[in-house]
Amino acid sequence: MSTTTIPSPSAAAGGTGLTFSGVLRSEWIKFRSLRSTQLLLLFTFVAMVGVGTFAAWARGKAVERFMELGPAAVNGPGVSPSGSPKLTIDQAIAAANANGLNIYGTPIAGIQMGVLILGALAVLLISSEFGTGMIRSTMTAVPKRLPTFFAKAIVLVVVSYVLTLVSAFVTFLISIPIMSSAGITMSLGMDGVLSSILLGGVYVAGVALVGLSLGTLIRSSAGGIVVLVGLFFLLQIATQLLGLVPGDFWKYVGQYVPSVAGGRMLEIGDKAAFISPLSGGLIFLGWIVLVTVPAVISLKNRDV
Amino acid sequence: MIEAVNLTKHYGAKTAVAGVTFTVKPGMVTGFLGPNGAGKSTTMRMIVGLDKPTAGSVTVNGKPYVKHHDPLHQVGALLDAKAVHTSRSAYNHLLAMAATHGIPTSRVNEVIDMTGLAAVAKKKAGGFSLGMGQRLGIASALLGDPQTLILDEPVNGLDPEGVLWVRNLAKHLAAQGKTVFLSSHLMSEMAQTADHLIVIGRGRIIADAPIAEILAGNQQAKVRVRTADVTHLGQLLSGSGVQVECNENETLEVSGLDSRQIAKIALDNHVLVYELTPLSTSLEEAYFDLTKDSVEYHSQELDDAAAPAPALEGTLK
Repeated sequence: MSTTTIPSPSAAAGGTGLTFSGVLRSEWIKFRSLRSTQLLLLFTFVAMVGVGTFAAWARGKAVERFMELGPAAVNGPGVSPSGSPKLTIDQAIAAANANGLNIYGTPIAGIQMGVLILGALAVLLISSEFGTGMIRSTMTAVPKRLPTFFAKAIVLVVVSYVLTLVSAFVTFLISIPIMSSAGITMSLGMDGVLSSILLGGVYVAGVALVGLSLGTLIRSSAGGIVVLVGLFFLLQIATQLLGLVPGDFWKYVGQYVPSVAGGRMLEIGDKAAFISPLSGGLIFLGWIVLVTVPAVISLKNRDV
Repeated sequence: MIEAVNLTKHYGAKTAVAGVTFTVKPGMVTGFLGPNGAGKSTTMRMIVGLDKPTAGSVTVNGKPYVKHHDPLHQVGALLDAKAVHTSRSAYNHLLAMAATHGIPTSRVNEVIDMTGLAAVAKKKAGGFSLGMGQRLGIASALLGDPQTLILDEPVNGLDPEGVLWVRNLAKHLAAQGKTVFLSSHLMSEMAQTADHLIVIGRGRIIADAPIAEILAGNQQAKVRVRTADVTHLGQLLSGSGVQVECNENETLEVSGLDSRQIAKIALDNHVLVYELTPLSTSLEEAYFDLTKDSVEYHSQELDDAAAPAPALEGTLK
């Protein structure tokens, strides 16, 4: 990226000249100096932990129910193999996982709240500058323009990752007693727990990058958020409907949707889907590049 | 120093700026005058790289603005008093602008004091009046103590004290050897501030001269002549380079001849003349004269208001 670091201070004003670290500091000041942003971040934390806590409780109940239902829960009604009428806790957890409850992914159960709010915040981070006219001040100070985009991206990635990480860890701590009351032990060493805590933020940061790019391309808050919701929520629903079409092709298409591919990164415990977590991550990265590149070109060349 | 060469900007089929070439020199206040929609703001936006020229180029202090390593120290621009985030305080806005160039907080406080914003600096910029917004825009333009100052309609919305302050500031900075370029659609404003005028109309430079020269030269001085025999004297006076208009009863307005020459002709031909008054050109008249063919948005006569209005007469011609 093109940054200039040749100092040429002006007599009365002082200063170092335009530097990338200066642009980064500027974007951080802008980010923290809006009351609405502070409130949104607080709300995101509460929502992620809240949904996660509720999920911990609901999943604990589900596992208890699977234990009571016995083998019928695993094999379906009508098939009733002889033997113990109840499932062991491990069997019940496996049954819950097989039914899409992903017990060990509980720390990031509230991640969709983060995706929605932080994604929208990312769109707003630049579209609000276009909306208010602030962008003209910004681009007069940084006429090369791209350092501003990259500085915003860094602020967003760091904030999204840290906030999701902290939320996931707090959710994990809250979930331990809730789950243990259902007989489930959860620790960082278990399959998927630590990785979901660490990787959840990667996914949300990626969504934020897509949001920033959409805001840069579309320049309208409403338009950018609508497209973001379309990409990360509606597209998945649409391809699920397409999956009902006969033939394998449409079933595969759904795996490449950004939310599904990105989600594969996180579901370490789930081996059912045919895309591996690594490929899922790469497909998700592809989606990010697909919107970031046009955004950067547009920002560099269009009049502001 | 600002140098524009054949600077051109089209927005779709519409030409906003049609190949203007001009130089804004340091050490004086240069006024950029033109009616609404003449291309003043577009030209200024191209100078700081917000709009890309369709053709031509413009440099500031020897380089395109985008190539400078310290843009805010080179150019301070007030292009739009609304170029702030409405929910951010004036102080934080300036702090964020200053941070890009590592300008210390002490300078932020300095420009806040200079522009009289101290009392409202911690309030949301969205709640500012037009005048306060204008002061904030000027404060951010001054942040980097720039070599060149570009102000688009700086006195818009300012109270009389603010207007006086902007005038003095412009003159003060020019006296320090800086380049000061300010636009206005008000001739009277320019008359009190500018040393040099660039007049633009429909995207073209109409005049580029010291303000005194525009006053003296661009429109020929007229003489009002009152006479009993308008027709006869009119015929006698008319000749090459002389224009005679008869707008009132027994009154001629003559340009191209001075009072003495008119008196001589009248005397030689025994025509009674009972008034000879040299008419001085006001700056306002000079401006109207320069721009009369290039006003983009003509006002309608009241009588015509009911008729379907050719709203964009200029472009539809």
